[in-house]
Amino acid sequence: MTDSKQASAFKEQSPLRAKISSLLSNQSVVLLITLVVLGTFFQWGSDGIFLQTGLLGTVLDEWGSYILLAVGQLFVVITGGIDLSVGSTVSLSSVVAGWFVVQQLKVGPEVTGADALPYVLLIAGICLVVGLLVGLLNAFLINKLKIVPFIATLATMGASNGIAVMISVGMPLQGPNDWELGAPWNIGGIELPISTMVFCAMFITTIVGLFLHKSRFGLYTYSLGSNAFATRGAGISVEKHITKVYMLSGGLAGLAGAYSYVRLGAGSNTSGMGMELYAIAAVVIGGASLMGGVGRIVGIALGTLVLFVVQSGLLTMTVVQVSPDLKQVIVAILIAAAVAVQTLQNKNGRK
Amino acid sequence: MSGEVVYEIKNASKRYGSVIALDGASLKIHAGEVVGLVGDNGAGKSTLVKVLSGAHQPDGGQMFLDGKEVRWDSPRQALESGVETLYQDSGLAPHLTVSQNVFLGREITVGGILGKLGFLNKKKMNHDAHRDLEAVGIAVPASSRAVSQLSGGQRQAVAIGRAVAWAKKVIILDEPTNHLGARQANEVLNIIRNAKAKGLGVIFISHTLPHVLEVTDRIVVLRLGRIVKDAPTSEFTGDTLIGTITGTIQTIKVEGD
Repeated sequence: MTDSKQASAFKEQSPLRAKISSLLSNQSVVLLITLVVLGTFFQWGSDGIFLQTGLLGTVLDEWGSYILLAVGQLFVVITGGIDLSVGSTVSLSSVVAGWFVVQQLKVGPEVTGADALPYVLLIAGICLVVGLLVGLLNAFLINKLKIVPFIATLATMGASNGIAVMISVGMPLQGPNDWELGAPWNIGGIELPISTMVFCAMFITTIVGLFLHKSRFGLYTYSLGSNAFATRGAGISVEKHITKVYMLSGGLAGLAGAYSYVRLGAGSNTSGMGMELYAIAAVVIGGASLMGGVGRIVGIALGTLVLFVVQSGLLTMTVVQVSPDLKQVIVAILIAAAVAVQTLQNKNGRK
Repeated sequence: MSGEVVYEIKNASKRYGSVIALDGASLKIHAGEVVGLVGDNGAGKSTLVKVLSGAHQPDGGQMFLDGKEVRWDSPRQALESGVETLYQDSGLAPHLTVSQNVFLGREITVGGILGKLGFLNKKKMNHDAHRDLEAVGIAVPASSRAVSQLSGGQRQAVAIGRAVAWAKKVIILDEPTNHLGARQANEVLNIIRNAKAKGLGVIFISHTLPHVLEVTDRIVVLRLGRIVKDAPTSEFTGDTLIGTITGTIQTIKVEGD
């Protein structure tokens, strides 16, 4: 056991150093500093256009389309699992909802504005149900067939993608949409970088975050990833909790599918392509550990923001031209940096 | 010295495939009694613990709690009936705080509709955890600290304290002094004495025979899935105990008490 050694090493630090190192071991603080630095840098590098409302609105819109996936992924990752199926759940749920409204109810894209609102709500409901079902299937594969989460969700990812292509025949299903939902808010003539959709995503994130940090459901999520054996020993049904967590991840992915539908005005089988990787990246950058037991909602919200600030920031740079193809490389560097920071923090006396 | 028989297992057997892990084991635990369970690796100690704690179901045999026949389908049932188990090296979730660990599975929620949604009363749990651990003789710095920040000895103290605080009838401790220094092990033995004074039946499983000889009232020796000796601790010396465990001292099978 090296714990006593670590504890004594911690005591020997001067109070100021201890304070700084404890602040820096808080992922949210590190991310906030990162955001300020990035914002300043891009503002300079873009000749002052980066922090304009319109661009921030784009960044937040991107954030909104990924945050629900990242939040669901966070719960799964805290339990020590992983959910690769969330991206294809976005595609599948938006396609199923689009198919139902367009081909069954025969309502097309000519219905817009307030008239389309009931349909949008219906679409959100269908997306949610589809997502919950994918989550339930994941839980079944993990609990009953004892398949590790990585493989189980890889299987549902492939299946969901395939079904989405079959239903949509590879074409976007254009349906009714209230475009106002995605438009920036205008309060007293001042345009804000936030739309109703972004607000909804923030609201859901907040509520789910409260459950993670304040409720029994969240406590069991941490305890499961921290020590599954002890959790079972405390009389908690591990299988039931895993089912709930994967259904939550699936359900939130379904809602992200609805988000995607409103952005595009259509259900598309490519709308969620590759999103799972960004969701996992956001969770890791946000300070969660793929080993389980660690991760906070604020960290994940900020981590997702860092991801899209960097992406949009690079593209607005005028000082140097950055190729859009560089995006993926940057994301890779961010992930590596985030994991390196975590490792350093762990060395500094925290386990 | 000891009270009524609080927990009894009669003629329990358990097989894993062709391996007979437990072969007709019978055991009685009285209230306020510490029973040492010893045996070599593979003697069937872990299997007996799992059967007693409800983690595994025996293939044959009966169990009685307070004279009533019981059958555990899950550890939860055993817990709810007052039988607490501390498993070897795995009692706590390191990322959770002391109080979260103490209350895991039995959380206190806030009042009203938020409570129904499972929102937790952290303040009360921190306070009560501190109080309950102190009551069983454990001084933990702060119950809001993560268990991973505690020393090995403190962790073990919390794990045992948790079990003693919740146990209503029987507490099963599997190798609680493992990996501990002399002083910390002594603290654990004191907690066991506290549990005994509380009137709990204590089953103490250990490889550290001096600890067994020091704290138990009775010692039960397992060999190859059978109970080969069940006698008051005063009848053993260190040498005869080792001899009984390894089989160099011949024993006849005893019929319970």
